[in-house]
Amino acid sequence: MKRMGENGYVKQSFVQDTETLRLSSVNELKELRSILFETLDENKPRLVICAGTACHASGSNGIIRIVKKYILEKRLADKVALRITGCHGFCEMGPFILTEPQQAFYVQVGLGDVPRIVEALLSDKYVEDLLYRDPATGEKYYSRDDIPFFKHQQRSILGLNEKIDPIRIYDYIAQGGYSVLEEVFSKQNADWIVQQVKRSGLRGRGGAGFPTGLKWEMLAKQSGDQGKFLVCNADEGDPGAYMDRSVLEGNPHSIIEGMIIGAYGTRATEGIVYVRNEYPLAVKHLKIALKQAQELGLLGDNILGTGFSFDIKIVIGAGAFVCGEETALIRSIEGKSGEPRQRPPFPVQKGVDGKPTVINNVETWANIPLIFKSGADKFATVGTENNTGTKIFSLVGKIKNTGLVEVPMGITVKEIVYDIGGGASGKAELKAVQTGGPSGGCIPANMFDVSVDYESLAEVGSIMGSGGMIVMDENTCMVDIARYFMNFLKNESCGKCFACRKGTQRMYEILDDISNGKGTLEHLDLLKELAEVVKDTTMCGLGQTASNPVLSTLRYFTDEYIEHIEKKHCPAGVCKALITYSINENCVGCQACIRVCPEGAITGEKKQRHVIDAAKCIKCGACRSVCKVEAVDVV
Amino acid sequence: MKQDTAILNRDNLYAEEEIDSKDILRILEKYARSRGGLVAILEEIQSKYGYLPETALRTVSERTGRSLVDIYGVAAFYRFFSLKPKGKHLACVCLGTACHVRGAQEVVEEFEQQLGITAGQTTEDREFTLETVNCLGACALGPVVVIDGHYFSKVERSKVKQLLDQGRKGLDKLDIEKDERIFPVDVRCPHCNQSFKDETFIIDGYPSLKANVAMDHKQGWIRMSSLYGSYNVCTEHEIPEDMIVSFICPHCDSEIPGTSTCSECEAPMMPMPVDGGGRIKICTRRGCKNRMLDLV
Amino acid sequence: MINLTINGLHVAVEKGTTLLEAARFLGFPIPTLCHMEGLSPYGACRLCMVEIGEAPRAKLVSSCTYPAEEGLKVRTTSSRVLRARRMILELLLASCPQSKTIQDLASAHGIRRQRFRQEYEDCILCGLCVRICEEQMMAKAIGFRSRGENRSIGTPFDAKSDVCRLCGACMYVCPACQLRCTYNEPEKAICGGCANLTPPCIEKEQFDDMMCYMDPCVACEIKKD
Repeated sequence: MKRMGENGYVKQSFVQDTETLRLSSVNELKELRSILFETLDENKPRLVICAGTACHASGSNGIIRIVKKYILEKRLADKVALRITGCHGFCEMGPFILTEPQQAFYVQVGLGDVPRIVEALLSDKYVEDLLYRDPATGEKYYSRDDIPFFKHQQRSILGLNEKIDPIRIYDYIAQGGYSVLEEVFSKQNADWIVQQVKRSGLRGRGGAGFPTGLKWEMLAKQSGDQGKFLVCNADEGDPGAYMDRSVLEGNPHSIIEGMIIGAYGTRATEGIVYVRNEYPLAVKHLKIALKQAQELGLLGDNILGTGFSFDIKIVIGAGAFVCGEETALIRSIEGKSGEPRQRPPFPVQKGVDGKPTVINNVETWANIPLIFKSGADKFATVGTENNTGTKIFSLVGKIKNTGLVEVPMGITVKEIVYDIGGGASGKAELKAVQTGGPSGGCIPANMFDVSVDYESLAEVGSIMGSGGMIVMDENTCMVDIARYFMNFLKNESCGKCFACRKGTQRMYEILDDISNGKGTLEHLDLLKELAEVVKDTTMCGLGQTASNPVLSTLRYFTDEYIEHIEKKHCPAGVCKALITYSINENCVGCQACIRVCPEGAITGEKKQRHVIDAAKCIKCGACRSVCKVEAVDVV
Repeated sequence: MKQDTAILNRDNLYAEEEIDSKDILRILEKYARSRGGLVAILEEIQSKYGYLPETALRTVSERTGRSLVDIYGVAAFYRFFSLKPKGKHLACVCLGTACHVRGAQEVVEEFEQQLGITAGQTTEDREFTLETVNCLGACALGPVVVIDGHYFSKVERSKVKQLLDQGRKGLDKLDIEKDERIFPVDVRCPHCNQSFKDETFIIDGYPSLKANVAMDHKQGWIRMSSLYGSYNVCTEHEIPEDMIVSFICPHCDSEIPGTSTCSECEAPMMPMPVDGGGRIKICTRRGCKNRMLDLV
Repeated sequence: MINLTINGLHVAVEKGTTLLEAARFLGFPIPTLCHMEGLSPYGACRLCMVEIGEAPRAKLVSSCTYPAEEGLKVRTTSSRVLRARRMILELLLASCPQSKTIQDLASAHGIRRQRFRQEYEDCILCGLCVRICEEQMMAKAIGFRSRGENRSIGTPFDAKSDVCRLCGACMYVCPACQLRCTYNEPEKAICGGCANLTPPCIEKEQFDDMMCYMDPCVACEIKKD
């Protein structure tokens, strides 16, 4: 079966049995791509359905089954195709069906809607009532790309997700995937690769923004006698952020391609993807993708007959936020507990197994093929001068359009929140945006003009972080948010540094006191002093940024803290010890709240205004969540 | 709607004395050469038993030569590992920031109240273990709850009781008569293109699919449910769990080749054409539920 | 040799020397709790912080783990260092008020008030006992478990260790528990601070063959009958 330079081998095996195809030269890869192009029928009506974790949670698997059932029953397999993809970003609207080539976007589809959608697609019509409508204006959109949520984005990474079934390598190749390898391998110039990445201005998307090209250059200079490692950090631990999950789930081959390019440029010998185990679907898709790439000859020994060898293995984390820190991640890969260590020596000098190692975030790796596809200079034109390219954010919280958004760097928070996100989800006004997860800070609404780039965000006391953007409104208490993050950090700190372990514990204690109405003004000074010392005296990134949630809320929302302390009042109505529930005159006496109250604290006759016994009330909020007439007040 | 994950799959509950050191040795063998060594080994043991039994850790220590202190330290460091047995069902509430601002804390409290335990504990009847997780990455749909691998989005306090009831009944069970997501497929032999359908043998209310299987120098028939989504089968000889079998067409007697390998268990997957278009791939390992219906 | 300046004084040290060693060589005192000669540096107590670099990029690092670098400017008693050190001592004192070592250090640094809620913990998790057990006694009987606020030191499964030789080195090095170990009632003498071991002094019948480093025993005052 195996042969060198035999004409028509790719075509032949493609027709006969695609599963045994193994490419042995760059030309064969080109040949395969052209065959795939030929068989690609862009005009065939097609249903595109997301099966990412979020849509899965909304029931997209059921929709997919029904589509399959309908196609088989009606024998439509020749007329209509189905593509199951990763995340498109608009998770709020799931499960959805996107049709091609129409670009109709049907949202929150039910099982019974499937036949109508398939039939409409076949006759090039629309199912009007299922099309996306702007919740504010009621305007109906016939084409997905006109929807404001998508229209204002620049989706160079995420845009590929909808075109690819992540468990089919041929989908990726047909979309131009692995084409960069052709150029990279034919140039045979490792230094050129590193220089291109430097020229592109790409900075690490994991949060700190270290220039990727520079990192690679340092690795390239290290002696490679003992081997060198490339690591993809997919330990996306920031709560409220899921960009990396979506890229891994939706387009795992782009990470693999990026890592092959990186390995060729830095002469790394081994690659590792470190994924957190909370992402089972990402792990599954990555495993399939790695296997396919190995079987096709794109990974392993003598890749495409170039004599260059590189392979990627997968390591699954076991649930520890601190493992996102480079040195802790390395220890975890080595099978130890994830305790960070002193840098220097830096991982690029001494990393996995003591060998030189470069660690880049998932999104950074996904950007690498794009740099070479468009050219480094063109890549650098997107964004601003020192912040090139696009960045994916997970826009979540109290916002109308939640989901993943990809925007050029340097865009303002305002544009993201209002133009793409559509503003507040409820009636309450927006108060702040939290970026950077537990290491980041809050940006108050009056500073929404700030440009989203590494420097500007640091200036206002937050960080870019990996891309979480949690929108908060007047019903979010900033003391509670600081307390939430501190609770998170005191559990997630590895506990090695006394300052981090005790510092986060004590900061939580003080914040808890304040939210329980036991705070004093002296507490605020102590909190600030402690926060600054923790920032100064801890060893790793987790500890050094652990104070940010406290310091940034203290900076912009001091009034809220003082109100908690002096007036024993939580303006957002969140801190339980400082609020009381009561029933107002809206009450129609439906007794719904009486039925759900776990403490029997509510009394009242039918059609009479009910009363809450404050002594019995545990402030669980059950009554408020069932009340249909907004009769439960929180003060 | 079943998320395929080894992580949350605990059909069996094992007590300490039921741990077979052979199983542990098999796991050690499997990871002898792979990266992430100890963590991967412990992950597999945890997936198998639902927790890390003391005897298992002692075996790992003896066999790998790493001190028990190290192994215990790693086991105690990571959140995923548990040193205590867990309940039959696992309810996991996401406490990510996005879920938090949408009231996940209240959802946890309701679970705690309903189950009478606090997060991290197991009910006395060993029915439920309640856990919280930092972020599941389904932030747009918060608060998110996962019960036995099934995701639930936008969970409110008032929905909790219902979720627990569903969990108790078993979320993996499909109602074959009522569930419209289940449908029959007619599978054919890739060689002779004759249907496997057997009208004389009914499973799940539909004609079954008949083939022959070979294992251990024995041959016999297998009849599988033709419903996509049902795993009910009848076999002439009992096929032991985890055994890989080869399928033989009852019409032309040729073996159906396994081409690709299963993404779950690495056994060969067998592609067969489906009436109406496309093909279905079935994993040949007994007990593996990996099936793929491909319409491309 | 590597040249650096500490508090303005020039010093040349061998490659691999830590800032703590270099500073002590020059006679600058730096308080430590988790450092001990003969054990690998760990950097847990954060008392030995020093300031390196120049504003605005100056930063604090733990001198016991930071290697001397060419041209580095180190300050061991800048106001930033002192502020951090005092806060850490205040935190230590609030958690482990019974430790004589911590009391003395706090007193020497002028800690006069206690702003945190008082705790009575046995252990500051400095890890000296873990390291001496592994690196000097070659036993590996105790180790760290769990993380964050739940981190603790002990034997696997909290069971009596198979590999512990009851040498008592862990107690000998513990900076937090000295005071309590002088109790002579057996149940109080169990020093949970370093390990969940049975202290050697209680198993009187084994007292003869014990490899105890404490001579005379500082852990307890029980005399063998």
